[in-house]
Amino acid sequence: MAQVHSITSDEGINPSTLHAIKLKLVALAKRKELFPAADFAMPVAQGRNYPLLVEDGDGLGLYLNVALPDKEAAPHDHGIWCATAAVSGREKHEFYRRTDDGKEPGSASVMKVGEVLVQPGHGMVMADHDIHATTVVGDKPMVSLSLYGYALARFPSVAWYHPQFQSVRTTASRRPAA
Amino acid sequence: MAKTYQVTIRNSGQTIDCAANQTILQAAVAAGIDYPYACATGNCATCISRLEDGKVSLLPYGDACLNKAQIASGLTLPCRARPRSDVTVNWLARSGG
Repeated sequence: MAQVHSITSDEGINPSTLHAIKLKLVALAKRKELFPAADFAMPVAQGRNYPLLVEDGDGLGLYLNVALPDKEAAPHDHGIWCATAAVSGREKHEFYRRTDDGKEPGSASVMKVGEVLVQPGHGMVMADHDIHATTVVGDKPMVSLSLYGYALARFPSVAWYHPQFQSVRTTASRRPAA
Repeated sequence: MAKTYQVTIRNSGQTIDCAANQTILQAAVAAGIDYPYACATGNCATCISRLEDGKVSLLPYGDACLNKAQIASGLTLPCRARPRSDVTVNWLARSGG
């Protein structure tokens, strides 16, 4: 966490610093001995996360995620930047851009603009309000590290986009009231 | 062609067709029912509902959204649930159950 803060202390969050954070996280994920499978049980259903380091206040949140094959998340914007790096397994991240004007409540259209495969030795990073969808691919569980600009318990409202419904729905913000 | 089942949405009082390879939520939204949902992929539990009758199979979902005790008590996630018989569901959001 100190290394992340040292990266952002001068320049804040921008594409360059996010890339540097991703490289740090990828390097950490390569140290598999730090994340023995025995310490992180498989999901009872298909996905769960374990807090590793969660800072106080508006601090960062680092999690180990375990997800089984085919576990997915629809395109969503969680309002805050994040970086992910694989310990083992593979997860497809698809990136989207909203294409409507947002004037009709509940309606939205998105267009896929990119895709990366997060696997050991690789990671991905996204800025505040980027939209991504995830799917665990292959036949092995995906074990990954995810670092968020806020802890999950203090997440802003998450906007979920559904191309098949042409809709957007949100979950409530967990941010403290102003 | 996938087998089709009848799904009754107790809250709206409607019965709709739902193919075996379709989720209850997909069928409900396609039928114009204002079913409460957000992620639609088993990550948020906004759509959590009581399965009053019938059988479903579940696509992958997160542990935090539906646990074994909830399933045993008759709850399900329509965004992940595909019918395996005619079913009746009742969403818990907005109505308070």
